[in-house]
Amino acid sequence: MPAIRRRLKTGTGLSWGTSMLFVLPALVLFAVFVLYPLLTALSYSFFSWRGIVRDDFVGLENYVTVFTQLPYKDEVGNAFAHNFLLFIGAMVFQNTIGLLIATLLHRIGRMKRFFQTIYTLPYLVSPLVIGYLWSLMLSPLFGPVNALLKAIGLGDLAQPWLGNPSTAIWVVVLVTAWQWIGFPILMYGAALGGIAEEIDEAASLDGATSWQRFRSITLPLLVPAIGTVSILTFIGAMESFPIPYALGGSTGSPAGATDVMSLLFYRTAFESGSTNAIGVSSAIAMLLFLVIFGVAVLMRWLLDTRERKMF
Amino acid sequence: MKRNTLRMAGIVAAGALALTGCAPSSSSSEESGEDVTLTVWSWRTEDIEQYNRIFDVYEEAHPGVTIEFEAFLNTEYNQLLTTGLSGSDGPDVAMVRSYGGLQGWVSAGQLVALEDKVEGLDAIEPAVLAGAKGHEDGKIYAVPFATQTLQMFYNKTLFDELGLEEPTTWDEFIALNEKLLAEGVTPMALGAKDSWVLPIFADIIGAGRYGATDFEAAVLSGEKNFTDADYVASLQLVADMQKYLSPDVVGVGYTDSQIQFTSGLAAQYPGGTFELTTFKTQAPDMELGVYQVPLPPQAKADQPVTPAYADGGFAINSASKHQEEAAELLNWIASKEFAQLFADELSMFSAIPGVEYKDELLQEMWDLYTASPASYLLLVNFRYGEPQGTAVLGEGVQQLFLGELDAAGLAQKLQTGVDQWFVPGE
Repeated sequence: MPAIRRRLKTGTGLSWGTSMLFVLPALVLFAVFVLYPLLTALSYSFFSWRGIVRDDFVGLENYVTVFTQLPYKDEVGNAFAHNFLLFIGAMVFQNTIGLLIATLLHRIGRMKRFFQTIYTLPYLVSPLVIGYLWSLMLSPLFGPVNALLKAIGLGDLAQPWLGNPSTAIWVVVLVTAWQWIGFPILMYGAALGGIAEEIDEAASLDGATSWQRFRSITLPLLVPAIGTVSILTFIGAMESFPIPYALGGSTGSPAGATDVMSLLFYRTAFESGSTNAIGVSSAIAMLLFLVIFGVAVLMRWLLDTRERKMF
Repeated sequence: MKRNTLRMAGIVAAGALALTGCAPSSSSSEESGEDVTLTVWSWRTEDIEQYNRIFDVYEEAHPGVTIEFEAFLNTEYNQLLTTGLSGSDGPDVAMVRSYGGLQGWVSAGQLVALEDKVEGLDAIEPAVLAGAKGHEDGKIYAVPFATQTLQMFYNKTLFDELGLEEPTTWDEFIALNEKLLAEGVTPMALGAKDSWVLPIFADIIGAGRYGATDFEAAVLSGEKNFTDADYVASLQLVADMQKYLSPDVVGVGYTDSQIQFTSGLAAQYPGGTFELTTFKTQAPDMELGVYQVPLPPQAKADQPVTPAYADGGFAINSASKHQEEAAELLNWIASKEFAQLFADELSMFSAIPGVEYKDELLQEMWDLYTASPASYLLLVNFRYGEPQGTAVLGEGVQQLFLGELDAAGLAQKLQTGVDQWFVPGE
């Protein structure tokens, strides 16, 4: 018994070699499918290319190209801005409506499973399919959305949703948020289930209102879950590809209004026909990776600091 | 990032699988020493049967040679072929893209120059053959197999019902569109949400106005550029056409526009020959007609034109172990026999001259084209660098339709874009 306690204190019950053995399978998979391609892309971005033949080492020239040459210099800022908009949109959507639904589901209890399943369904369908279905629904010629608006006397609101730059990006934001909503509902649902009811009851006996209890007890205890959801949402939003692709095509139609970084990467790598496509697209991919990695680490650090303050 | 690299890894893996799939056939030919299997790669998954029938003819005339025709998804073909050409068991002969799309494989040394190996290439229309040339060395790397022409399709049945006729002057063209508007029919279907259709539309409407081949020569030599008043005027015509398109045209996708036309909601369709199969499948009973858009006032061309471009070619993998047999196959592909079979089986224009088209409409389009040929300017000449002319104009015409740019601004945008890499007179 004392031996176990001592071991627990050191944080591990296994020798270094044994723990490595357990980590190994995951490490191998990670190295082969994540680390190796990542390092390959990094090395590619420092060379100029003729088709698939590697040419000279050019240092940062491909990165300079992204910021100084057409079409990249016009498109990269626009695309990044749209990625951040997707992130903000998803955050607003899931931390208000998502959290509300999760809280309500937690309280009703009875039909919880059923509703959780319903809300999570879009999350289980391929985003490419989701995007395509929405593009059909929003078609100005045959789409049911405009037809419905006209049928109920709101014809003035009928729009070329995906043909108007000022509505198109919001369609992408909302469709993305709509698809993702099941994920925060599940996460928050689990986190809510983990909060001891005694705390809530005690506060209730002390006369705290329902809002006070949510504001001062539930919400702070949800911070770790919100943090995890936020980071995953950020990564998802920055990598966003299938939904913008299905809604606006590879060019981010109309006139770049729905362009995102992955589309820029895709166009550069697979559609440009440029002889140096591999060099420039690798640079774009690395930039995207640096932003995702950097911000994700920063967010994690901020959350850790905040959580430490709380407990 | 992670997903992208994974996707690339997936593509490579798929390519490797495809390669192992065809490996046994090539190795068995070496063992026997006589029989040769030539693997031919293509992106035309929809034409596998037709190509098999075409190559059956070749196999009959060449005992001991087996052609294995393999088609891959169009959108993934470039990556698959790039992987295939870099491996040891790639295809012997492959369909390759034209113009700018060909250059990556050429500059990587993955294709064989054909001048000394294939006869009959000089009979091909220069603008079409240009699509098969290496941009840097000017050598021919492929036998072009198809030409696409751009023109206005119309629904003859609908025209007859409304008592309308093919326009022969600009005034008639405008009157026709006004009449259609008044009848509640969308005059032209256009999928402006997919920006690649827009440079095609611009050339169908405006090539005659800016002076087609003369302007092309002037731009290539550096005598003129896209900010030229005539080119700007041609873009203004494109802007003027907006009232004859769907009200929300920038929201209309390419496939929606096809349905719009084949279902009779729109009377005309500015497009390429490649639309024909879709039209015939979607509306087998619709009678189709074609015409060249008449010359507008102040047009620089002296007759209406049909812009055209080469739509790919067959090339030899420089790593193929059967160079001789592959060259022989390409000689046959450059022959009139193949061209006629190709035209009959696939209802497309062969790049080889002297072919008769059974389909009257095809023959009519071909006659229109040969009477006054032109290049699809931006695709033929301005896809050799980044940004590509077609991409800049495509996005720009969307901005034109959305009111974010005017014709002069669009012309300037195009010029600024191509200025980055295009050197006149080269």
